[in-house]
Amino acid sequence: MLTGLDIEGTTLLHRTSARLKLIVLFAVAAGLFAVSNVWLLVAFAIIAAGLYASTGIGLREAFRRVRFVLFTVLLVALANYLFHSLSDALAVLFRLGTLVLLAAAVTATTTVSAFMDEIAVLLRPLERLGLLRAADVSLAVGLVLRFAPEILARYGDIREAHRARGLRARPLGVLVPLVILTLKDADTIAMAIDARGFRRQ
Amino acid sequence: MSTRDIVLVALFAAIIVVLGMLPPITFGFIPVPITAQSLGVMLAGCILGAKRGAAACLLVVLLVAIGLPVLSGGRGGLAVFAGPTAGYLVGWIAGAFVTGLIAERLVRDSQTEFMQFASFFLAAVVGGIGVVYLLGIAWLSFMSGKAFVETAIASLVFIPGDLIKAVVAMLAARAVQAGYPLLPIRT
Repeated sequence: MLTGLDIEGTTLLHRTSARLKLIVLFAVAAGLFAVSNVWLLVAFAIIAAGLYASTGIGLREAFRRVRFVLFTVLLVALANYLFHSLSDALAVLFRLGTLVLLAAAVTATTTVSAFMDEIAVLLRPLERLGLLRAADVSLAVGLVLRFAPEILARYGDIREAHRARGLRARPLGVLVPLVILTLKDADTIAMAIDARGFRRQ
Repeated sequence: MSTRDIVLVALFAAIIVVLGMLPPITFGFIPVPITAQSLGVMLAGCILGAKRGAAACLLVVLLVAIGLPVLSGGRGGLAVFAGPTAGYLVGWIAGAFVTGLIAERLVRDSQTEFMQFASFFLAAVVGGIGVVYLLGIAWLSFMSGKAFVETAIASLVFIPGDLIKAVVAMLAARAVQAGYPLLPIRT
């Protein structure tokens, strides 16, 4: 159910290291705000769309992933057109559009574990200070992936129990038992983790 | 954080993820269907307190960043952060923290039912709406070029839906506080 948004492949972007992709993405994001020439921004947007398409993602899936963000970009551009000028609107549209497509391309070509490795590197200073442990972060990520399907199934069970008793489905009547039943598991899960010595304290 | 705290944070993050998978709730008296995911932010602060609530939201934001489709409608990945509304998502972390701070200081077990409701509602409105909108609108203004005033005003149309969520969060948080209290109360 919760699988990563990366797609398999061996394209240039797939072979580039996650760190390099992230550094370039941040540099481009910062740099784009210094550019206000619309034609230059259009050129960047075409390059970004080309990179996104080169990841081997199908056209339909590519659009499905970015349509919501692109829709908000379009709204913001529309506001600029209505209250300011067409050139402002186009600059915003292609600047943010470029950024969205590049970011989507990075996500499509980087595995979840590659991202987690970069997170661990970023956390190293905090780890030295004794504030946080990278192993705990990956433990938490693993727990979410493990328990989200279970919580969804529990939601279905509670709804069914209400229906069996002829109760009307009300948001609150489902939410409260769902939260309490889920959080009550915390003690057992924590005990199981400690019993296996996962955190080695 | 103890192992139990880490597990509580992860389970609550999973609840927020699941809230995004549910079909949007519709209320009879408001025409727009509302997604339950930002309700989870208010609940995280009201139920787990400031530190653990913010950690749960941080975990969800991290899951989005590493390319998991955990936001409502199966959205996820770095593209979300490139959009003009990314500030609302990042604002969840501070929002849950402030919600928790207020709830921890106002809610008492000895309070009357009405006072507890009022405390949870205030926490959810200030943290879950005030702080989230503050960061969301700041980011939106930065991203939206010259029309920042207009886009900021337009984003206020979501306030009525969020007030309903604050009421739901208030009712749910008190019920959880009565059934399985986890909020670290500070006197």
